[in-house]
Amino acid sequence: MSAAAPKATTSVDRYRSLFDARPLPDNALTQWRRAAFERFAAIGLPTQREEDWKYTNLRRLESRQFTPATPAPVATDESRWIANAGARIVLANGHALASLSTVSPQPPGVTLLTLGQWIANSPEQVAEFLQKQRRDASSFELLNAAFLEDGVVIDLADGARFDQPIYVIHQMGPGNGMSHPRIFVRCGRNSACTLVEHYIGAADSETLTNSVVSLDLAQGAKVAHYRLQQESSRSFHIGTVHAHLDRDSRYACRDIALGATLARTHITATLAGPGAEATLQGLFAPSGTQHLDTYTLVDHAAPHTLSNEEYRGVADGRGRGVYRGKVIVRKDAQKIDSRQSSRNLLLSPTAEIDTRPELEIYANDVKCSHGATTGQLDSTALFYLRSRGLSEDEARGLLIRAFAESILSTIELEPLRQHLEQQLNERFASSEARA
Amino acid sequence: MLKIENLQVKAGDKQILKGLNLEVKAGEVHAIMGPNGSGKSTLVQVLAGREGYEVTGGTATYNGKDLLAMAPEERAREGVFLAFQYPVEIPGVNNVYLLKAGLNAIRKHRGEAEVDAFEFLSLVREKMKLMQMDESFLNRGVNEGFSGGEKKRNEILQMAVLEPALALLDETDSGLDIDALRVVANGVNSLRRQDRAILMVTHYQRLLDYIEPDRVHVLSGGQILKSGDKSLALELEKRGYDWIRQGAAAA
Ligand SMILES: Nc1ncnc2c1ncn2[C@@H]1O[C@H](COP(=O)(O)OP(=O)(O)OP(=O)(O)O)[C@@H](O)[C@H]1O
Ligand SMILES: [Mg+2]
Repeated sequence: MSAAAPKATTSVDRYRSLFDARPLPDNALTQWRRAAFERFAAIGLPTQREEDWKYTNLRRLESRQFTPATPAPVATDESRWIANAGARIVLANGHALASLSTVSPQPPGVTLLTLGQWIANSPEQVAEFLQKQRRDASSFELLNAAFLEDGVVIDLADGARFDQPIYVIHQMGPGNGMSHPRIFVRCGRNSACTLVEHYIGAADSETLTNSVVSLDLAQGAKVAHYRLQQESSRSFHIGTVHAHLDRDSRYACRDIALGATLARTHITATLAGPGAEATLQGLFAPSGTQHLDTYTLVDHAAPHTLSNEEYRGVADGRGRGVYRGKVIVRKDAQKIDSRQSSRNLLLSPTAEIDTRPELEIYANDVKCSHGATTGQLDSTALFYLRSRGLSEDEARGLLIRAFAESILSTIELEPLRQHLEQQLNERFASSEARA
Repeated sequence: MLKIENLQVKAGDKQILKGLNLEVKAGEVHAIMGPNGSGKSTLVQVLAGREGYEVTGGTATYNGKDLLAMAPEERAREGVFLAFQYPVEIPGVNNVYLLKAGLNAIRKHRGEAEVDAFEFLSLVREKMKLMQMDESFLNRGVNEGFSGGEKKRNEILQMAVLEPALALLDETDSGLDIDALRVVANGVNSLRRQDRAILMVTHYQRLLDYIEPDRVHVLSGGQILKSGDKSLALELEKRGYDWIRQGAAAA
């Protein structure tokens, strides 16, 4: 085998020319962005040699040329939005659209603003805040940092509660723009909120979304986080979520991946104080040639912490799904309860789902359970339904939906659940039914 | 109504039915008895359209149509109903939804309008009363967590709602207590009409006290070895199957 010829331009080169073309003020924030870019350039995009990326090849993404997404208003399709009574922020190609957003009234103790506003008002403060976020950032996080411009900042004082969901719409396309939004959620003691992120792509757009969400939960805080990914089937979606949980706080994430040609969600939950509890649930449904990858990392860094993961995959056509759940139990983190379940359904002989738990346990008094199954639709159940007069399509649709039901039923927001059911119905062609 | 001629069926490498003949006319009730593993379930499943069996010869006509050429849902829409020996649990699919979807599929096939929600509910309530089933069963998953007897009742409830022309009952009596047996038999009898037929598989003469058959057949070794009236069932109860098998071997 001969060595591959050097490429004329690498993906890093392309991102560099986009980075250099940006007019940026000379301030601390720009320095921070530049430093992030240089670190990104040094490591480049991940390859399959890295354990975390074993099942996902980024070649499709590497060859793409994206344009910087402009803050110009895009054609939003409000019919695809979920009815929501709370706050709404529309990020069109990563830029907040004030005209479509409603952020007031805000309950006492709640601060909700766009990252763009914060940067415009006090860039030095933003830079200082970002510098304090000490963490080994992945290459996509670094890329996000380098191109950081807008996003959402949610700040809850101790005891503050936002009863209505905060609905963030990431509207992408048309065209081939890239967007690097960032969402910060800081929850004071015993505060609570619900964040719904909805990624929507205009048909046929070939965009890149590279979002980063970081959540910081102080003692007793509660966050429900929903991610609904419906990018266009020719787009790329990379989502990184970091949740840091202090004592007795609770974080629940429901991640539904339906769109994009290639998507990767990376969720890390760090259980840093006793009594902290993380629930991660998800449903991914690749069809056609979609590749949908979910990677979770639950870090039990403190004793008496709880985690519960439940993921379901449904793959059709030549779709490929990946779910890998890594659990770390640190030394001295005793009395841990960690559960993980992965159930998968293959609807066609060419579909594929790779699933693997990974446990790294350094304490001895722990309860860890994990189970993974991959199968096909139950032919006896299919026959049973057809013998009652239901068409084959209808019977299949019902069984697929029944399979997804254990995830759907955990969605407490009624309009969101209905929206999802409708999406799944359309995808799996069947009418309404639930047990 | 149903005419089976020289039916031969294979599953995997095993020839299960080896030239079976049977005719059931409208208005009649037929009972099929026979030793375990003789092919009774195979017969009714093949008639309902279960995949995984290979028909290697013979025919089955239903109201003059080639039954074996039809998809399972077409058979159901044309009025064939199978009460399963082992009803399937389908968590996540609502029991009452299945009833409604099934009924509407059949009505649509007949060119009728979808059932009105109010009308449907009163129909289901009436049939549940007949089956002495609590309404809480409606909103559970199909057969999910049902006891053996509850599953059998649920099968007959479905049958009572769908009102098939040809009901195939596979050991609907097994696993039922005495009271439940009476309830289920009642449900089946309520369906009896001049334009309908019932083919029921059973191991016990007891059921036939409640649902009186016009004909009783013995299926053994993949064929109907003997047919008679209901006194045959009484004789089988006393003498078992060996004498029939020996008689057939001698013939
Ligand atoms: N898919 C299959 N592959 C191989 N053998 C099969 C298959 N299905 C059924 N059989 C065999 O065919 C025979 C007939 O089975 P069937 O279920 O029809 O019997 P049955 O008369 O209903 O018995 P029972 O009274 O116990 O219900 C059995 O020996 C069974 O093991
Ligand atoms: Mg049987």
